[in-house]
Amino acid sequence: MPVRRSHYLPRTPAGRAASLAFLACMALAQPPVVHGLADRIEPRILGMPFLFAYLLAVYLLLIAVLIRTARRRV
Amino acid sequence: MEPWVVSTSLIFVYLAVTIVIGVLANKRLAANMEDFLLYGRQAGFVVLYLTVVATFHSAFAFLGSGGYFYTHGIGFWAAGTWTILVGAVTYVLGTRIWALGKKFGYITPADLLADFYQSETVRVLAAAVSVVFTIMYIQVQATGLGYILSVATGDRLPLEWATLILLVVAALYLIVGGLRAVYWTDVIQGVWMYVAVWAGALVLVYKVFGGPAALWRRLATERPDLLSLPGPEGFFTPGMWVGMTIVLSFGLVFQPHMMIRYYTSASARTLKLLGATTPLYLMSLFIPMALVGLGGALVLPGLEGADADKIFPELLFRYAPAWLTGLILAGATAAAMSTLDSILHSNMTVLTRDVYQRYVAPNRSQSHYVAFGRCVVLVLLGVGWYLSVNQIDFLVSLVTLAAAGSLQLMPAVLGVCFPGRRPTTAAGAVAGIATGLVVLYLTRIEFVRPWGVHEAVWSLAANFVATWAVSRFTRPPPSETVERIHGEVERFVYGDGAT
Repeated sequence: MPVRRSHYLPRTPAGRAASLAFLACMALAQPPVVHGLADRIEPRILGMPFLFAYLLAVYLLLIAVLIRTARRRV
Repeated sequence: MEPWVVSTSLIFVYLAVTIVIGVLANKRLAANMEDFLLYGRQAGFVVLYLTVVATFHSAFAFLGSGGYFYTHGIGFWAAGTWTILVGAVTYVLGTRIWALGKKFGYITPADLLADFYQSETVRVLAAAVSVVFTIMYIQVQATGLGYILSVATGDRLPLEWATLILLVVAALYLIVGGLRAVYWTDVIQGVWMYVAVWAGALVLVYKVFGGPAALWRRLATERPDLLSLPGPEGFFTPGMWVGMTIVLSFGLVFQPHMMIRYYTSASARTLKLLGATTPLYLMSLFIPMALVGLGGALVLPGLEGADADKIFPELLFRYAPAWLTGLILAGATAAAMSTLDSILHSNMTVLTRDVYQRYVAPNRSQSHYVAFGRCVVLVLLGVGWYLSVNQIDFLVSLVTLAAAGSLQLMPAVLGVCFPGRRPTTAAGAVAGIATGLVVLYLTRIEFVRPWGVHEAVWSLAANFVATWAVSRFTRPPPSETVERIHGEVERFVYGDGAT
């Protein structure tokens, strides 16, 4: 039986870039960033409290990473 | 015309439409298990997209999420992280499950696990986890449905009868049209519920507050505690945030009705597009619910516990026109039914495939198993109704474990779909699942969430450690099996010739 390389780490440059971008963005939506830096009402963005707008922006960024990954057929 | 007549009529029109769709699906049905249980593995992007999102968002999206925002504030916006993770997991893991299912003819999650680990113990354990932790959802969805219909009729229809009517309709179109009927009705349900939530929320916000910006301003002035973490009751601690992200993304993906959807995709490309784009729908549905829940806390304060979950219908009946309330409650019915029918279907599939075909009556005709599956739906209908009208304390506890319970299949599934230097063993998979379930029970029921960390984190960590440790010292699956399955994953992901 051949010893296979692990699939837990991406093997291609495009795969590595997509994984890193996704994980970095996901970290922005998790503690301690969310419970520290982002946990505030002001400044409001488009009328929304900062925390809500911040998380919305991070979520859209995460979705953009996924769509870009799919478009590049990674 | 009285408001309750309008809302009840619209719900019954909606129910009639679903039955018609079931009949139409029946005309396309082939009498074999792949078609009845897996849509012939031919689901295209639009159908699969809408069935996945409609199944993911249940009655909870209409009732529970509003209640969370109402009670715990903006912290529930964490929901965005788990909806996006569901997409990422679909992209990375769902495609691998699809490839193996297509190559080796898997129908259930237990098929995949038992084939790799070459173990009947793993099959039985996986099937048991699949059924036990989702059958409780039948009760949850049925109760939610009954509540919606009962509210729509102004309590003229008792909860028990409302629940029974809606269970019968869901079971009826499933029996008649199989998974095709479920998928086709989910298309309508997915569109209806999304439009309904946004329309209802915007009408309420503009009518009551004058617009979202005005609502946010009032919240900042009157209830700033709702706009910061961890919320008024201290619920959304960092440990809860991470735990809910894990349990409500991975936990839901590993439930059988979601895993079975991966098998049904027409292609891997369809699944990748699905993974990349479903978060748009799933995440954005919580935006109007935030407006509803947080706005409700301003104009209808004082609702506690389960009453807080009624905030959306309560606001509708007070502030929205009857026709709109009817349309939205029909959308709520759609949200709950699209999850209910999928759970009925997945339990039918597991019980037919993993129990009846495997151990009771092997080597029967395809039409025999299809007929048996239909009988199972009838039994599940009865069980679901019984559970929904009889509150049993132990079962109520079990419901709280449901998503984290299904999560315990994760290390075993990863062992199949992600080749590594040393394969996970059957003993490792069994030890991991058993350990995870025990730790889950202890950290949810006996010692509730030690140090504020969600039970999903504790149980999954224990599961991974047990799986890894036992796999180090026990016999791996036969090398030809590992080569066959991991070789297929390798070819699928990296193409021929990669090692």
